[in-house]
Amino acid sequence: MIREDETGNSRSIFDAASAWHVETSRDDMDWEGFMTWLAADPRHRSAYDQIALADSLVEEHRDNLHEHDVRQAGRWRRPLKWSAGLTAAAAASLIAFFAPHFLSAPMATYQTFGSTEQVALEDGSTVLLAPRSRLVVTGGRDEKIELAGGAWFNIRHNAARALAITAGQVEITDIGTRFDVQATDGQVRVAVAEGEVQVSSSSLAQPVHLHSGDALLFDGEGGRAAVSKLPTDAVGQWRQGRITYEETPLSLVIADLARYSGIQVEIGRALRGRLFSGTLVVSNGKAALRDLSQLMGLELHHDRSGYRLDERER
Amino acid sequence: MKQHSGQDVGSGLAGVFELHRHDLARFLAARCGDSEEAKDLLQELWIRLSTRAIGPIANPRAYLFRMANNLVLNHTRCRHRTMLRDRRWLRTDGDERSPEDRSDPDLLADEQIERQQEVEILRSAIDALPPGAQRALRLHRLDGHDQGEVGRIMGISRSGVEKHLAVAMRHLRNALADRGYFAPKVSRERGTTSAAKPRTEERP
Repeated sequence: MIREDETGNSRSIFDAASAWHVETSRDDMDWEGFMTWLAADPRHRSAYDQIALADSLVEEHRDNLHEHDVRQAGRWRRPLKWSAGLTAAAAASLIAFFAPHFLSAPMATYQTFGSTEQVALEDGSTVLLAPRSRLVVTGGRDEKIELAGGAWFNIRHNAARALAITAGQVEITDIGTRFDVQATDGQVRVAVAEGEVQVSSSSLAQPVHLHSGDALLFDGEGGRAAVSKLPTDAVGQWRQGRITYEETPLSLVIADLARYSGIQVEIGRALRGRLFSGTLVVSNGKAALRDLSQLMGLELHHDRSGYRLDERER
Repeated sequence: MKQHSGQDVGSGLAGVFELHRHDLARFLAARCGDSEEAKDLLQELWIRLSTRAIGPIANPRAYLFRMANNLVLNHTRCRHRTMLRDRRWLRTDGDERSPEDRSDPDLLADEQIERQQEVEILRSAIDALPPGAQRALRLHRLDGHDQGEVGRIMGISRSGVEKHLAVAMRHLRNALADRGYFAPKVSRERGTTSAAKPRTEERP
């Protein structure tokens, strides 16, 4: 391209950007040269971003793009496919539409498998039940909800009504808000996007009040709760196929991958408490698992029995 | 760079970090184009290194730069997804409810449709790649072989693999750009195809 017009120029920029991007996996990558190139023109950075985004999109959709999908399907459990979930989502909204009718019965149980389900409560509040989760609603004026797994609650505030949600060993009350609950193997996470809730448990000396942007992690084994901050737009992010972690034990991350991606991973006992921070795209389980292993510097093994994360061998 | 012996792993890498802190900061600034974000990311990188044991690494400097580069990519990805989500809201102009009033399943279904479209765009773009670039990309990205293995399988040099992959990435980027994937605003009037805008069927 000798002409200095815009198309010619940007074409060579994208050529250069993809060459740099491919080179980053080399141990002898010329990082100084890359820096100089980036600094030379702001368009270089944006071109590189686009190339890297395109590449990471291929990774994200790797399972759907694979030629040998069918052969692989027999070997491991396929991660949750959003494409397949489409009809399920449509069905879920139908269920939501008819739900108030079902709820005139004293008790309703909702169990999800690979997709989410929207549950409507009598007063117009809604619960979006995560995949592989269970919700039991006991009707009446003072509704009780029991949750195993994950759910996003959008509850209308009503001072006259005492709604209580039980998840594992904790009880959530004083609700008028939008918040997320994840209950897995004795550990419960509650994160508030808007409004506030109260969390109590027989193993806690006193109830904990959570406000918008608060995230509580309750450890059933130790009977302890820790509260940290989470950006409100990261609360209940699984609804968009992502989960953001802030210093979260690996055992919980693995449990989330099982729930949201349908991907089973084993980890050694020593790794269970290792903390992870970062965002995983759980709508693609295998890509999430690869990201996780890379970010944590762990070795990812895959064989007939499934996936396993280990320490790198020394 | 050889001072890293493989013992004392975590602090060893933290030591390498200190040694290259200045270069990493410069790199992050050049890569983000935003000095505040670069500072945050450098901090994040340091926290990751100091809170986690990481196995012995042959080339710690390259490892740190790659890690820094991946951090930026992660942030770019999040930002891009947010942009796509905002755009989805803007695009539902036939829908008079405000974003707050629309129920979550609506948005979830929209996102699922868009993600399905991404798969379709990528699938046809990969099918349309030149044979060498296509094979290299499939082996590398879909089958998970590293670049050295791809070279051995295809019987070509590492730099040959790099050339194929670079061609593939540029084509995929172009295919996505043509369908408005990177556009920050709703700008699909031109060149809109039926597959790119299934919403019109749903919301007449």
